[in-house]
Amino acid sequence: MRQVFGYILLSFILVLLQTTIVRYLAIESVAPDIILVWIVYLALREGQATAIVAGFSLGLAVDLLSGNDGMLGLSALTNTVAGFTAGFFHNENKMLQILGGFQFPLVVIAVSLVRNILYFLIYLQGAEIDWLAGMVTYGLPAAIYTSALALLPMFVFARKIRSQL
Amino acid sequence: MVKRLYDIASLFKEYILFAIFVIVSIVLLSLNDSAQIRTIRSITLVSVGSLQNALGFIPNYFDLRRENRTLRELNLSLTDEVSRLREARLENIHLRQLLSLKDRTRYSYIAANIVGKNLQMLRNTITLDVGEKEGVRINMPIVSESGLVGKITATSSGYSIGQILLNRELRVSAKVQRSRVDGIIRWEGGRWLILQNVVKTMDVQPGDLVITSEYSSIFPEGIPIGVVNSTKQPPGALFQSIELSPGVDFSRLEEVFVVSTSPDTSRAAVEKKVK
Repeated sequence: MRQVFGYILLSFILVLLQTTIVRYLAIESVAPDIILVWIVYLALREGQATAIVAGFSLGLAVDLLSGNDGMLGLSALTNTVAGFTAGFFHNENKMLQILGGFQFPLVVIAVSLVRNILYFLIYLQGAEIDWLAGMVTYGLPAAIYTSALALLPMFVFARKIRSQL
Repeated sequence: MVKRLYDIASLFKEYILFAIFVIVSIVLLSLNDSAQIRTIRSITLVSVGSLQNALGFIPNYFDLRRENRTLRELNLSLTDEVSRLREARLENIHLRQLLSLKDRTRYSYIAANIVGKNLQMLRNTITLDVGEKEGVRINMPIVSESGLVGKITATSSGYSIGQILLNRELRVSAKVQRSRVDGIIRWEGGRWLILQNVVKTMDVQPGDLVITSEYSSIFPEGIPIGVVNSTKQPPGALFQSIELSPGVDFSRLEEVFVVSTSPDTSRAAVEKKVK
């Protein structure tokens, strides 16, 4: 129960960081998504069900903070799919190895690409730019940037594994 | 029977959860602007906005020095411009009296700090530390000293959310200041804004300043939007392809002003009647 409250608190802090500090890391309007890194982490650590719940809740928070743009539910949907996809990489026996190895940023980039493709397929319906252009301009750079950010927790876990040996 | 159902449910709990949340998300997408959603949005904005505000003590040291120098230069040029504008205003009053023209509406400005920026692929928004208490209402324009920033799309008692020009949902009625050519400003991703619906025969040149037009019922006339960067004449198309460099540097934007406008009800009524 304590761990659940810890996760909720950390999720809330990460939403705050995403909307306050992360903007300073943006390059040409492309910012890393620490919320997605957190969803993938939860999927690898706790499993698919937790990641789905986290994906939906955090996505909904992002939607609510996007103002009244007629797209409430879009991030909730895409982050739910992200949590569901990331959950397939959960392996209780190899959890620390995955989190502390290069599998972690690789899972982040794969999940990020799946989520961004779905995001642009829905969001750019009826737009002049097609989803492929949206993916090339934003989806792909954002996925790469986000996976680069995932290297930080990866190094932390790699250190943890080394100290356990 | 119940136990069997329970066993099946626990076996496929991830898939059931996934299906439920996907359905809820799709329902939310279809019920976007209901009163309940507005209430939930307002509550979220108050709670998250106050925390974002608390985190505002973290300054962006890299930009402070550069900003200070820019502000000094701007102050100098504005002082010079103010004195020239005073002269022009006096002349304008005199000429308007001569012609008996109706005076343009004057607006008041509500100063606001940006406490949050939501850079959500093509749905970029900003969170401001002013809300309904300060008189901010939905659809009020947001400006900075460099020009148009966007408009307010959601409010709570102490905070508000604004769509910026770099948001695919925002459209602005605009005109080229030099040639008075009208068009619609929108953003489709990338570095530039796009001026749409300008036919090929119209006179638009790189370097032209684009401002808000009098046709908008949201944005006051004459606010700078950006400068024309390039014009292209795509073969077979009716309209020109015009790219603009926005006047506002959104990556460094920290303070803005909400323009306190009240909707022109008589104009809206006439336009509705015609429709």
